[in-house]
Formats: sequence, C-alpha cells, structure tokens
Amino acid sequence: MFTAFQAHKEENWALSMMFAVTLDLRIFANNAEQQLQKKGKGKVGDMLEKAAEQLMSCFRVCASDNRAGIEDSKKWGMLFLVNQLFKIYFKINKLHLCKPLIRAIDSSNLKDDYSMAQRVTYKYYVGRKAMFDSDFKLAEEYLSFSFQHSHRSCQRNKRLILIYLLPVKMLLGHMPTNQLLKKYDLLQFADVTKAVSEGNLLLLNEALAKHETFFIRCGIFLILEKLKIITYRNLFKKVYHLLKTHQLPLGAFLVALKMMQMEDVDIDEVQCILANLIYMGHIKGYISHQHQKLVVSKQNPFPPLSSVS
Amino acid sequence: MNIEPVNNKMCTHLTPLKQKFPTCSMNRKSRWEKRRGQERHGPEAKPEDSVPHGTCTTMCPISEVRRRETQRQLHCFEIERGTENEHMPRADLSRTVKEYSRPAAGKDSTRACDLRPPDVLFKTVCYLVDEIAASPTLQPWTEVYSFVFDRLRSVRQDMVIQRVSGRKCVAVLERTVRFHLYASYRLCGAPLRLFDPHINDTHLQECLSWLLECYNEGQCEHQAEFQALSLLYNLGSTRTLQRALELPEKVRLSPPVQLALAVNRAYMECNPVRLLRLAQKLDFIQACALHRHLLSCRRDLLLLYSHGHNSRNCRFPIQKLADVLYLEGSLADQLCQAHGLQVTGDCVVFSKASFSESPCKEMQCTQMHKLVDDKQQDLSVGKILHGIV
Repeated sequence: MFTAFQAHKEENWALSMMFAVTLDLRIFANNAEQQLQKKGKGKVGDMLEKAAEQLMSCFRVCASDNRAGIEDSKKWGMLFLVNQLFKIYFKINKLHLCKPLIRAIDSSNLKDDYSMAQRVTYKYYVGRKAMFDSDFKLAEEYLSFSFQHSHRSCQRNKRLILIYLLPVKMLLGHMPTNQLLKKYDLLQFADVTKAVSEGNLLLLNEALAKHETFFIRCGIFLILEKLKIITYRNLFKKVYHLLKTHQLPLGAFLVALKMMQMEDVDIDEVQCILANLIYMGHIKGYISHQHQKLVVSKQNPFPPLSSVS
Repeated sequence: MNIEPVNNKMCTHLTPLKQKFPTCSMNRKSRWEKRRGQERHGPEAKPEDSVPHGTCTTMCPISEVRRRETQRQLHCFEIERGTENEHMPRADLSRTVKEYSRPAAGKDSTRACDLRPPDVLFKTVCYLVDEIAASPTLQPWTEVYSFVFDRLRSVRQDMVIQRVSGRKCVAVLERTVRFHLYASYRLCGAPLRLFDPHINDTHLQECLSWLLECYNEGQCEHQAEFQALSLLYNLGSTRTLQRALELPEKVRLSPPVQLALAVNRAYMECNPVRLLRLAQKLDFIQACALHRHLLSCRRDLLLLYSHGHNSRNCRFPIQKLADVLYLEGSLADQLCQAHGLQVTGDCVVFSKASFSESPCKEMQCTQMHKLVDDKQQDLSVGKILHGIV
C-alpha cells in the first residue's frame, strides 16, 4: 500500500484512505493480541509491535514528503499516525519510543494547524509522557489544553484526561472540587484530595491503599505518593497555627507524625523532612539543632503551593 | 505464512491487508532473540524444529581447545599445571571454558558439537562460581572478574542460540546477576581499564530483565529476591517501580520486595535519613545492589541539611551527623569538607551558600564501604553467588 501511496507524488487525496486502513490495522492488531493472550500463545505485545512497524513506514512516507506544496503535502497525515503509534506504545509500555515522534511533530510547522481532535489526542499523550518523566509543568500545560479543547460531548475522554490532570494539578497545589469529581465519576480521588489539603497523612495512606488497584492500573500511584511531601507541609502548617509562635519545638512535629501513625519515626527524621521542605521552598526558615527548634520566617512562613515550583 | 489463531471472520475481512503485511507472522521466538540485543545470533525466523541442540559435554568444545592451544590463546586459569613455561602450554580440559566470540558473517555458531546443552551450561556456571570466582588463590580479582565475565557471556550466548528457557536458564541467570552485583561492589574504584562499571551495568541490566521475564513465564522460586534486587539497583526508576507495583500480590507483599519498596519510597520522598536507616536492614547482596547509590544519597543528605540548617549561628555536632550518615566521625568530617562545608572543632556549620554539589575528587566511594562490608561477615563468595544464606 505505501508504495502506491508513495507513488502519488504531490497529491494527498489518499490520506483519508490511509487513516481508515491504519486505524483498522491497529484495532485488528489489538484484537489479535487479545485472542492470542486468551489462548496463551505468543509474546505479549507482539502483534501490536508489528502493527507499529507498519504504521512507522507510513509515517516515514508522510514525514519525508517535502516536495509537494503545503496543501497537497502528505505531512497532513503525520499527526494521525503519531497518535495511533502513541496508543500502541502506551499499551505495550514502550514510552521511550515516543520521543522521536514528539520531536518530529514539535519541529513541524503544521503543528498548530491539524484538526482539533488530533491535537487534543496528541497533547493528551505527550502530557502523560511528561508526567512520567516528572516534568509536571509541561504535563499540566498539555493535559489542560486537551481537557479544555476536547468536545463537550466526550465525557469519557474528559474523564480519561482528568485521571492524569488531577494528580499533576494536585502536585502543583490545585485541589479539585468534589463537584468535579462527582461529575466525572472520579470519587476515588475524593479522599486523597481531602487528606492532602488537611495534611492528614493517615487518611492519605488509607485512601491510596483503598483504591490501589485503580491507581496502579492507571499508572498514577507513584505520582500520588509524591503528594506526601505536600501533605507533610500542610500538617506542619497546622502545627504552626496551633502553637502560634515562630520558634517551633521539633518535638511537636514528631508528635504530629506519630499521631499519623508513621512507622518508627524519630527526631532525626523530623529534621530531615523539615530540611527537605525548606530546601524545596515549602517552608521559609531554618532548623536550630542546638535548641531543637524550627525557626520560621515572620512573613509568610508557608508560601502558597502554587508559588513554589 | 499465516496469522494462525485469529478469528476466521476477521481474517477474511482483512485478507488484502494480510498480504500486504507479510511480516506479521514472523516467528515469535526470533523476536525474543532479537531483543537479546548484543547476544543476538543466528539467522532470524527459524522454524522451531531447526533450533540447534548442543551435544558438547565439556565446558569447552574440543575444537576450540585445540585451536586456542595452537594459537596460544589459553587463559592462565586454563593451562595445565606444569606446562606454563613450555613453548606451547597445554590446556587442562577440566578447566578450559568456551570463550565468548562475537557473531560475525560467515561464522556458523549453530553447530551442535560446539554448543553445550543446558545441563553442561549450568555445570559450567557452577565451575566458574566455585572454582574461579570463589577461589582464594586466584589473584588478582580483576583478572578473575574479566575471565568469569567473558565465560558467563558465552554461556548466555549458547542459551540464546539453543533457546534455553525454564529452570536451568533461571538458575544460570540468577548466578550471573549476583556475580555482576557483587563485582559492582567489590571492584568499585578499580582502574577503568580493569573494571568498567558502565559495561558491567549494561550486562547486569540485560540479565536482570531477561531473568524477570523468565519469572513472568513461571519458575518463580526466587522471584521476590530478584525483584527486590532490581528495585534496589535501579533506585528511583519509575519504570522499575511501576513494574513492581503490577506484580502479583504474593510477590509484591513479600518481605524483600516490601523492604526494597520502602527504600524507594524514602528516596522519592527525599528522606535520606530514612533511606540509610532502612539500608541497615538489607542483607549483603541487597546492600551490594544499593551500594552505587549510597554516595549520592549521603550527598543529598548534606545538601538538604545545608539548606535546612542554614543559619550563621547554628552548629551541628559532627558525631550526630556521622550517626545519620552511618559513617565514622572522621569520614563524615572529610565528606563535609569535600562539599565545601566548614567544620570547626566537633561541629559543622551548614550553609547553603558554601555547599558545593561536586565534591573534590579525594572522596572515594570505597572509603565508605563499611556499611556494606559489615554485612559480608563470614559469607564466602561462593555462598553469595549461589544465594545460600
């Protein structure tokens, strides 16, 4: 097929056909994969990998079509193929293969002119990848774009985007409302949100354990565990508000952590957790080992999360 | 060429497609072999029945023994005692082991008489572990390392060509992984021309992922042990962690995996105090796996403390710091100074301005091996590599 496709120089009318065929190919490979797994035959991901190989050759034809004028260029097919490839790579857990594709699209001058549907899909996957690479700012930007621009009737897609957007937003200090969680049937996040904002470490651990399977399946368990640092900050902020002083005894934080049933925690660890929060900019102040105290700044000792990067 | 097990209806529907994509029915094993990367061998897409089965019953095929004898390419561990000084030293057949040879065009590496069947391969590995790696007389250990490294590689090559899987394959890989882990610790700091940590790492990762793949296909007596080692060796790697989370509950909740996960959690929460404390609970080989991260973990602790205790009038007792770093006082002192921190008397002055990320070269990881050393106690190398605790 690509030879025929390639032969049509300076024309791109065959693109829509290619879209249909490649989409079929991926779905077909997916089904083949499932059937093979059911019978316990074949290597996991084998069928999908082969489909990806074929998609890649189509992609190469499209990407290298430099001669044709922009209206007739096969480059218009790139994003569609990239999205199909992303779907496969995410499924078979080979995210590193996405990198050259992202580079190809990023350097393309058409990247803002593809159809919105394609761009939404693209940004969704690139956002997810950024998240796994711990680039949360970028992840937030891309996932937010997807969420805001996906069609209002696509509730299911919006829900999928939120599964990844929520943890990223939370890490950057924006907590979702219960209303939103209810609307998109994502109440699994409700307790996590509550725990983080209240600084309730115990509840956070419970919430993570309770919905473990869901979070692991979505691949966000590890990201949610990172919320612990913010939870410490919120817990310690409470200690500060209770004691109403700028010189806080380290013992008070130890009591707070023990109350949250943190296993065999001691004063050394308290110092370490505090030192990390100071390092990250969540607390303004310093620890005095001689006096066993945390001395916090008189102004704004706990800067708002969104201002800390 | 047929896509065999797929539902008929779909096949007819997509017949033209199928013809356009002939590679779809490439043999699955050949893919698996392809993935073995540098150990790849032999023509691809061979049907199952033509997989070679080795008939060589010695550790080294006789043709290779003769060839290396005449070319005087015997390793000193392989020469028959007493003939070392002769013009052409003879091979001791009970000590000669097939060496790794790079696949090359025109070379037939699939001859049955040159390949060792799984039993012989396992015996070869045991010989390498018991008689070479664990030998108290063979010196220096860098030479032992390069010999065992090469011969284990040829064992893997034979396994790939014959597509060995199952129990024997797992037993070979487990010892190989332990060997590379142990070497990464024992030869830490050795000159680069004798020991390249990067090459060791590449082979270790390859064996480890092959081994973990074998566990997925059954045979999982030691799965928890090696999952834990993988987690510790690849500390903080999201890929490894995500895989570990997807493990069956029985493995995931086993004590070694739980401990390794706790260490990783401490790392992700940037809590080096907890991390070093948990490291005390590791056994020797686990400590070897974690060892390459310990220096940076201690550096992180100093970095955090430099920011946390950043005040001109504050002093931090060096002994206290040494305790959380799990180092002797004098070493903690040296480490602080290497990072640009001022030590006055028995106190450190932490200051974020004077902390420098890159220490002066003087600090060697080997100086801080006590944490791991202590765990070896009277464990012999043989027991370590066989996993007998």
